[in-house]
Amino acid sequence: MSERPPAVIVDHVTKEFKLYRDRRTSLKELVTTGRPSRYERFRALDDVSLVVPAGSTYGLIGSNGSGKTTLLKLMAGVHRPTKGTVKHNGRVSALLELGAGFHPELSGRDNVYLNGSILGLSRKQIAAAMDDIVEFSGLRDFIDTPVKVYSSGMYVRLGFSVAVNLDPEILIIDEIIAVGDEEFQRRCFDHLYKLRKRGVTIIFVSHSMPLVQTLCDRAAWIDKGVLRAEGPPTEVVDAYLATINQAERERLDSTGATDLLSEDEDTTGTGRRGSGEIKVTRVSFLDAQGEPTLAAATGEGVTVRIHFAAREPVNDPVFGLAFHTENGVLVSGPNTEFAGLRLGTLDGTGFIDYTLDPLPLLPGNYLVSAAVTDRTLLHVFDYRDRAFTLTVQPGSSPDRFGLVALPGRWSTVRRTEDEPLEALS
Amino acid sequence: MAHVVELWRYRGLIGNFASRELKSKYKHSVLGWAWSLINPAATLAIFTVVFSTIFRAQPPAAHNGMTSYVVYLFIGLVVWNFFNNIVNGNMAALVGAGSLLKKIYFPPYAPVLGNSLSALVQTAIEFVVLLGVLLGVGNGWWSFLLTPVLLALLLVFATGIGLIFALLNAFYRDVSYLVGVVLQLIFYATPVIWPPDLLLAHRHGELALHVLQVSPLYQFVEAFRDILWRDVVPSPSRWGWLLLASAVSIGVGLVVFIRGSRDVSEEL
Repeated sequence: MSERPPAVIVDHVTKEFKLYRDRRTSLKELVTTGRPSRYERFRALDDVSLVVPAGSTYGLIGSNGSGKTTLLKLMAGVHRPTKGTVKHNGRVSALLELGAGFHPELSGRDNVYLNGSILGLSRKQIAAAMDDIVEFSGLRDFIDTPVKVYSSGMYVRLGFSVAVNLDPEILIIDEIIAVGDEEFQRRCFDHLYKLRKRGVTIIFVSHSMPLVQTLCDRAAWIDKGVLRAEGPPTEVVDAYLATINQAERERLDSTGATDLLSEDEDTTGTGRRGSGEIKVTRVSFLDAQGEPTLAAATGEGVTVRIHFAAREPVNDPVFGLAFHTENGVLVSGPNTEFAGLRLGTLDGTGFIDYTLDPLPLLPGNYLVSAAVTDRTLLHVFDYRDRAFTLTVQPGSSPDRFGLVALPGRWSTVRRTEDEPLEALS
Repeated sequence: MAHVVELWRYRGLIGNFASRELKSKYKHSVLGWAWSLINPAATLAIFTVVFSTIFRAQPPAAHNGMTSYVVYLFIGLVVWNFFNNIVNGNMAALVGAGSLLKKIYFPPYAPVLGNSLSALVQTAIEFVVLLGVLLGVGNGWWSFLLTPVLLALLLVFATGIGLIFALLNAFYRDVSYLVGVVLQLIFYATPVIWPPDLLLAHRHGELALHVLQVSPLYQFVEAFRDILWRDVVPSPSRWGWLLLASAVSIGVGLVVFIRGSRDVSEEL
């Protein structure tokens, strides 16, 4: 595989688009202004160079509008680079939009022929693949119906089936994995895996970092038209996430934090109740260095600080927290009583910290409730239901599925003797 | 050379664009394909009433001596429609393929050439009807066998022009409107509804005729009338002019189009 020439070579590619200020030029304008058009130049890609090795699966990541799709289009030959060159070795099959070439009035079968020929295949080649395509799409009963009656899911299934079953050499996919139902998605992945094993080069854009990390051999991160990182997917994804997290923290710190920290009376939560002898005035989050933050990272340290104010001396209050997911699942509800703490009599103002190191919550937004009750947990002094938000970002934990990273360990594989093999059949 | 290879490789696509157009054209109309004949038939009827009945235009006698204006007009109209459909259709075909060209690479001439092919199929149907009429009125002669040759030449000639305007139209959408106006002018400058002899009755008629005869379309219409009305083989000079015009048209059209369409996907 290594002797094959690279599938795609992108060499110092710059792409500029014309941005028409008010749509396009008319002849009248041409005559009156004497200039062909009034537009600004927009640089979508700036001196990007990268090599996609043959047979590799290559991921492109980056924020919206960063130039990923432009790069795909250049690789697919849809646009020409303004400067630099793009070279291919192999036939390109591009999926920049599934079912792009479908004509609504034609039957599924006719559209397969049309789409296949757009991808540069002969009628014979398409006819040979027709059964596989129909089978894969699962649309046998509808293949001779006009595609305009298809649901959007069916449309996409047929489009994907055509592109992947027509024996591509280089497959270019723009964010299509997220389409179709669960069952079809799995079939897509299965198929991509098969293509990959067969040595097909796959280039795709995705916003799903786990997908990029699991599927890709290499990845590139494009930011505002510039290639920021290129290499093994984990490194590239990490670099990308680090920047995103940084930006989000800055945004939260500058906007959200001040709002929330100055807040005393409950406005954001779903409810506040209690007799009020002692109150939770606010909740803040601190990172491992003890700096206030609103965003924590999985696997790294975070401290939840509950600030209180007591109107009168309160005997042995209990502080509690509850972490909810955004759709309402209670992940955990720790309190000082369960932890076996006796706090004694509290008066005036102060705070108590609850430290999680490492934070087991997986990335997402969590709603945090804070409460102070008596020791029976029955009398509520103050209960602020889901009044605070903790944003958890991907951190050092390798876990991806579920809500929490369990503190488990895997053993090495050990062989067993004398297991009856009949159990397998 | 690379372009020839590419053209060959994408021949299936050109064919598919043509069949896509033909198949979807009259879907959901009750009369379906009948419309492709009703339309020219209506034009034929209108022109016949206006020019033959009201203005008393009279064509020169046909080979069998008949002077039926309807049949004479029919020949001219079928030829004109073919040219007109290709030039207008080519422009629409490129713009129509725009959303596709932005997503998948294929040569932009494919939808344009596909459109020309679908126009050919339509015209072929009209010709079958026309030939039936000619046989019916007893004006058939073996010269009609030259029809496919002339049709092929006209296809090539019209497509060359269509390619250039399709490209221009992609950059300046005004072009299609402008072409609509110009085509109307050319229609009346071509002996479709009027027999050339009619001009000679006027004072500067002969001069005007000399000028108009330069137009390849004039020659195309008259060449078709040679083989279908007068039942003679067109003169060598007429053949020469048609061959030259077709070769130049398609040559220039393809070169200009391929050169100019490299970034056309950004303009659609």
